[in-house]
Amino acid sequence: MKKPPFLLCVCTLFLSVLNSCELPPRDGSAGVQNANIATMEAGAVNPNEEYVMITTAINMPMYVNHDQAAFRRWGEQMGVKVSILGPAEWDVPAQIETIEQVIASRPAGLLINGTDPGIAQAINKAVEAGIPTVVYDSDVPGSERHAFLGTDWYQIGQMQGEEMARLTGGKGKVAYMGILGLTNMEDGFRGLLDVLKKYPGIRVVGRYDDKASVELAARITSDLLAAHPDIAGICGFDSNSGPGIALAVKEAGKVGKVKITTVDWEPEHLLLVRDGVIQMLAGQKRELFTWYGAQFLYDMVHRTNRLSGNDAQSGISNVPTSVNTGLLRITRENVGQFLKR
Amino acid sequence: METQTYTNPAKLTGPQPEKSRLRMDKLLQDRVYSLSITIVVICIVASVVFPQNFPTFENLSQLLLNLSIDTIVAVGMMLLLISGMFDLSVGSMVAFAGGLTANLMYFHGFPVPLAITIGLLSALLVGWVNGYLIAYQGINPMIQTLAMLGILRGGALLVAGAGIQNLPYWFNAIGQSRLLGIQMPVWYMLLTVAVFSFLVNRTIFFRRYYYIGGNAKAAELSGIEVKKMKQFAFILSAVLAAVAGILLTSRLGAAMSTLGRGLELRVITAAILGGASLTGGVGKIVGALLGALFMGIVANIMIIARISGLWQEIILGLILISAVWLDLYLIRRSRA
Repeated sequence: MKKPPFLLCVCTLFLSVLNSCELPPRDGSAGVQNANIATMEAGAVNPNEEYVMITTAINMPMYVNHDQAAFRRWGEQMGVKVSILGPAEWDVPAQIETIEQVIASRPAGLLINGTDPGIAQAINKAVEAGIPTVVYDSDVPGSERHAFLGTDWYQIGQMQGEEMARLTGGKGKVAYMGILGLTNMEDGFRGLLDVLKKYPGIRVVGRYDDKASVELAARITSDLLAAHPDIAGICGFDSNSGPGIALAVKEAGKVGKVKITTVDWEPEHLLLVRDGVIQMLAGQKRELFTWYGAQFLYDMVHRTNRLSGNDAQSGISNVPTSVNTGLLRITRENVGQFLKR
Repeated sequence: METQTYTNPAKLTGPQPEKSRLRMDKLLQDRVYSLSITIVVICIVASVVFPQNFPTFENLSQLLLNLSIDTIVAVGMMLLLISGMFDLSVGSMVAFAGGLTANLMYFHGFPVPLAITIGLLSALLVGWVNGYLIAYQGINPMIQTLAMLGILRGGALLVAGAGIQNLPYWFNAIGQSRLLGIQMPVWYMLLTVAVFSFLVNRTIFFRRYYYIGGNAKAAELSGIEVKKMKQFAFILSAVLAAVAGILLTSRLGAAMSTLGRGLELRVITAAILGGASLTGGVGKIVGALLGALFMGIVANIMIIARISGLWQEIILGLILISAVWLDLYLIRRSRA
């Protein structure tokens, strides 16, 4: 008998492999509405009930002091187990890997920092697995998360733009910096530029990537001050932008002459506002993200507010879909109250 | 005439334990063997300690999926390390290739195969430039690939910007489809390791990298085209990084300029754990898989045990130091 040709065997094997290949769903959805969420009766206590927060750059002081501290306090008050996981560096793929590995251990709920739209697939996997999933800080478009709590970064940019225009009298050179390529910051940049466009006297002289590094932000600022000695103001968009800009402005002896607006309100930011180096902080109410985010998860698990006979089967969620926690405007006038905290 | 021969009992019994000890020493010095045993032991312990979470199909397939991208890059890095070089630009290459491919499909409407081909060709060009400047112009590999790391990271920011989502369905299907319940990147990883293991173990052309890594001058004197081969190794490394980048973009359904940050150090660590040396001449392709697998298992166990990310970095660092120290200890012992 004639042997079948090698190529035919390979083709047959290839086609049978292709045939057994399971393609992803067309619309990318996870069938969330019908996903069965593991629930408990209101008031029931399970000693193994665990809520997991997954972020990136887990040791960033802003995250530790606000997000994580509030989440831990919430866990203590509710008498449930809370865990905080994620990579030490700003590493979104590592955050995705952590989410996907945690799903296998079936926690009661997942509280996920919306660091990038690229984490949508991982969030959908969690939802598909029936785990209540809340996103905080920045929303993740394309994800099927049950709820979102955070701020609108476009508004952060607008707030900085309005303040910068007020501080500079609507004229002069302005630059801004942050982590380029991050969706939330790009939204912030857009908000800033949309406001500055309204002031023909303001000239934007550059956008820079400080890679969330104080040293780099300071170096960029000192180069800017050398290139544009008459620069009127600089806006910062990540937690380390403000301290870096302030350092270079202080070293150049231009405190008060170069106006600074930035984000976040860590003690070092507040002290710089008190000393008049930074003029305004656009702060987020981060404690509310994780406190209420965790509470939303708890309410979903315990069916605290039932809206129908079976909310999951009805295709509804018993918590708010989207919450904007608003912004804090911190200036020299009210900084004392924040320093007392 | 009857003759009696005297046999020293020591000759019958003495050398055998000595032989087996030597054989055991030799096996232990083979990192593939020692690492495999370590991995098996860790898996058994983890299965006993976390019976609900570790030894499940879902967890193990996820574990393999998470190390698939690193392993594909580590295969190229292993080849470079065998020949006594390394490439620090692979992490940025991952981001650039994924970003460029997504950009061409999303903003310019390129068909999926064409966009992927251009993404791979860009890697071929980058590898060619790296290889040419290092092998022919004598630029130090660390400086050249460090510079390329910056160039490609900037390029990734240009092409991917704030991220690109909503990529074509068939592109996403490459990384999101499943075969036998396991997501495709795992199969691509196994295929890459199998193909390169075969090439490096069985073909004269790839065996020459061991001679180059052992003694480049001697290799050149023996007629091996060292410069051309070094350049080819950089091309392969860049193309494998691009394959990994395109695969990661497809798996996530999104391109990000931040992809692959710190990947270069992770894959060098995996390759060294898997038996490579920074001085060249040693290492096996399967060692890259085992090194990545070892790191993946340790990271997985730490997540299951809910150990914070801060400690994970410290523990992985300590493991790397221990592995290298153990290697040196075994070599010294065998010489003694």
